[in-house]
Amino acid sequence: MAWRHVGGLISALLIGTSAGCYSGAPEQAEGSEGPSSGDSSASAGEGGDVDSGGDADSGGSMAEFEPGSPVLPRLTEAQYRNSIDDLLGPGLPTPALEPDTNPYLFFNIGAASTTLSEVGAQRYEEAADVISRAVFDDPARRASLVGCAPEAPGDACVAGFLASFGRRAYRRPLTEEELGRWLMIASELADGDAWRGLQLAVAGLLQSPHFLYRVELGEPDADDPDLRRFNGYEMASRLSFLLWNTTPDAPLLEAAERGDLLTDAGLLAEARRLLDDPRARPAIQGFFSQFLDLGRLSDIHRDPALFPLFTPTLPRSARTEIDLLVEDLIYRQGGDIRGLFSSRRTFVNSELAALYGVDAPGATAITFVPVELPADGPRAGMLTQAAFLMMNAHETETSPTRRGKYIRERVLCMTVPPPPDDVSTVIPEDGGEAKTLREKLEQHRADPTCAGCHAFIDPPGYLFEAFDEIGAFRTENRAGYTLDVSGDLDGVPLASARELATMLVDDVRVGRCMITQLHRHSSGRLEATTEVPALRALESEFESSGYRFRELLLAFVTSDLFRTVAAPEVE
Amino acid sequence: MIPNRKIPRRTLLRGALGGAAVGLALPPLEAMFSTRQARGEAPSSAPIFGVFFWANGTSWHGGHGQTQGQGGHPDLWTPAAVGPGYSPSELLAPLAAHQVSVATGLEPKTAWPDLPPGQSDGHMRGFMVAMTGDRIRPEGFDHPSHTLTALRPTLDQYVAKHPQFYGNYPTRFRSLVMGASPIRFHDYGHWNAISYNGPDSLNLPIMDPAQLYSMLFDVPADLVQVGRRAKLLDAVLGDAQSLRARLGSGDRQRLDAHLDHLNEVQRRLELTSGTCEEALAPPADTSDLLVKTEIMGQLLAVALHCDLTRVFSFMLTSPATNHVFGNLGVGNAMHQICHDGQWEQVRAITLYQMQCFAKLLDQLASFQDPMGSTLVDRSCIFGVSEYGEGWQHSVAEMPVVLAGGCNGNLVRGVHVREQGGNISKAHVTMLRALGIDTPSFGWNGGETTEHLTGILA
Repeated sequence: MAWRHVGGLISALLIGTSAGCYSGAPEQAEGSEGPSSGDSSASAGEGGDVDSGGDADSGGSMAEFEPGSPVLPRLTEAQYRNSIDDLLGPGLPTPALEPDTNPYLFFNIGAASTTLSEVGAQRYEEAADVISRAVFDDPARRASLVGCAPEAPGDACVAGFLASFGRRAYRRPLTEEELGRWLMIASELADGDAWRGLQLAVAGLLQSPHFLYRVELGEPDADDPDLRRFNGYEMASRLSFLLWNTTPDAPLLEAAERGDLLTDAGLLAEARRLLDDPRARPAIQGFFSQFLDLGRLSDIHRDPALFPLFTPTLPRSARTEIDLLVEDLIYRQGGDIRGLFSSRRTFVNSELAALYGVDAPGATAITFVPVELPADGPRAGMLTQAAFLMMNAHETETSPTRRGKYIRERVLCMTVPPPPDDVSTVIPEDGGEAKTLREKLEQHRADPTCAGCHAFIDPPGYLFEAFDEIGAFRTENRAGYTLDVSGDLDGVPLASARELATMLVDDVRVGRCMITQLHRHSSGRLEATTEVPALRALESEFESSGYRFRELLLAFVTSDLFRTVAAPEVE
Repeated sequence: MIPNRKIPRRTLLRGALGGAAVGLALPPLEAMFSTRQARGEAPSSAPIFGVFFWANGTSWHGGHGQTQGQGGHPDLWTPAAVGPGYSPSELLAPLAAHQVSVATGLEPKTAWPDLPPGQSDGHMRGFMVAMTGDRIRPEGFDHPSHTLTALRPTLDQYVAKHPQFYGNYPTRFRSLVMGASPIRFHDYGHWNAISYNGPDSLNLPIMDPAQLYSMLFDVPADLVQVGRRAKLLDAVLGDAQSLRARLGSGDRQRLDAHLDHLNEVQRRLELTSGTCEEALAPPADTSDLLVKTEIMGQLLAVALHCDLTRVFSFMLTSPATNHVFGNLGVGNAMHQICHDGQWEQVRAITLYQMQCFAKLLDQLASFQDPMGSTLVDRSCIFGVSEYGEGWQHSVAEMPVVLAGGCNGNLVRGVHVREQGGNISKAHVTMLRALGIDTPSFGWNGGETTEHLTGILA
């Protein structure tokens, strides 16, 4: 059943949702998956109590590591297009494909849990036809791709090409039966034209589930037959899709063939090579933009009459700012990735410079330049920047609740439960004496049914009341009332968003959250409870590396999380 | 009348899955690419089933369970009188010209489990029951991330795949799944689509008119090559078998669904032929929902007239939509204004959404068969939203419109009221009108054997 691939941790996610928001000890969820093993990495209850240290329960009682179940992710749209580019060369048509979805934030989870629709299957068929004809109708292009001139359908040139192209498309050598099948197509459907035969065989290969799905099912480990590990070619595919978001290149397939990827040294060498390549940058940015939920910026609208600084391009610029910041932290500074939440260095174009009120010589509408935000200003880190502030506000009102919820869920990986079924979530339109949104929300919290959760969500969110619906700094609301922008996180009082930034740098949950999300992104599913020991082990490696993300990636790809797998489940 | 369905081509190719016999013994292509037009048959007069979905219900009133402010708001949806020839209410007025029937007072009756929590939320429960007759699938449901899925197919797919609907000769497209507003509340589950095949199997709507046009009306000049593409799929299906055997059961189901779709795609390629004569020029996209509904409606009408399909769903706006109706002077996302209690704005938006519904029906009404029946006369179109209203997510008083005559099987222009009635009675009514045996419909507490009295002819 498809949901299981996503839902391995359903029981753990439920902890806290039934327990309310702010109580200390998580209550065990009943029902769906039997007794929970007590992992609460995703629970609200754990995080509500920062002083006790979120990892208090991660000690000796932890069960032994066991790998999670295999998944069968279909290529995401980006992975499909990147693979086509790599297999057949750039500049080919890009016909529409089934759109991706991102349950639990990640396209790879959508790709591993959803079922292709009929229109999606039709689009693959049409794309394979259009793309393969664009290659083979072009004499120069097909000659350079195939590398020899087929004289007759099924000749040695055809056979040689199909074997080598098939190996690249399937990310492993074809079996004899498979090669025979495509050779047959290249002959039988050719009507005497060897090039047409090749075009059709390529169109077929591009529709094969062996190309469209990442088949990484593992095999028994020769050294320890009780364990299953990914084989060399599967490791090549995993590495390449994680670090490049595309199909393996020739050296990586060769490393797989030699067995290099089954050793630590070989795996690290290839991972380093991939990370040093420019293709790694968009792939890593892609992870961060999903983890940080930046896709929501594509739906932002604001009334320009109300917000003179707002332009239709501002949400896109705000997204680019985060992309550049991430890249800078990982590649140029090579520093602590948690600087994402605290760095005064950022990147602005002219409209962001105007929004932030900073000088940015050289910035234009399309040129971003690095700037140092003022030390005595209100901003540091992405939680004070336009992307976060804009996407967590309504069109004409800010939302401490949304902003606080983002801190809880995205930055700290906690679960905020939904409002109880029988409760009104309406904020009275006329708040009586209330002059600010905060005062209205505080009235709302007078209701004990709401208080538990809103006391958990809203106080960090109040810190951002200093920023309006597009992220401009302000001291009073539109009605002219002075805003109280103090707040707290887990009971620690904070005077401003800047203070939160400082506090987050020392919060163990920030790095832990990043590891969890990296694993979800890479595996295409939620973590299994039995994987938690390995996730915890990565935490100490991340810490000892000084929270350098590149080092985390290297530790991750050499961990058992990335290299071992449970047997497929059969009902 | 389908006298000339000549070539059981699929059976010829069936034995070829291993790859050995591909390409052998094919009959002449022109004999294979037969459609109704190519066969010179009369236009179809078979019944049509459609869904028109709009977001966030109607403007709230006391009947939904709670009142806002002092004295609440008037009910602008429910017509004052019941029975035939009712006078339309303010919000139903745009549909009056099409003599739609309306059922009021209906609601979902399914039970929902306590865990995972949140399954009673109207957006999800109301939607799922309205479209499937069943509750949400509890496994994998996650309210905090708004992730959910269905237990069974939505009504459009239930009909399109029911053996009694198409019989042995489905049209080139079993169904068309379309939408207008791409703005969504969330990225997965019915937040961006209203059509399901089953758990985790969504049919994402086609939103781009040019894409819809090309899917329906672009026919390659080289039909021989189209025939090769169809045959190629036998090799693809054969190639999948070695993978199938290695998968766990969940992934095998996903792959099998994919392979079933490939069979449909193959059938569609085989049925590719000369165009539908009424084909229009490829249209441009627009963000104006009324104009877009007209454009998509025109393409749909041509497709129905040419018998390219007989089932469709049209999602004007997705459940809980964040669409900003700036054209109506509304500044905030619709989901938000509902919760903010902006009743007047929701009233204006609901009226506008009904104008869009009417625009779709206008397009279908403009095509007649030789006997003078329009596509609306042949159709049973289910107009529905995810709940009664969006202020409190109440599922009381779900809006249910039954448009079209379904070839005389539905009575038009009737208002039926059953306060607290089971919404699956509407499902039973439509399915029986379409000639699908329906002793009972609905699950998990939503079961009913009854249809709506007065609407089923």
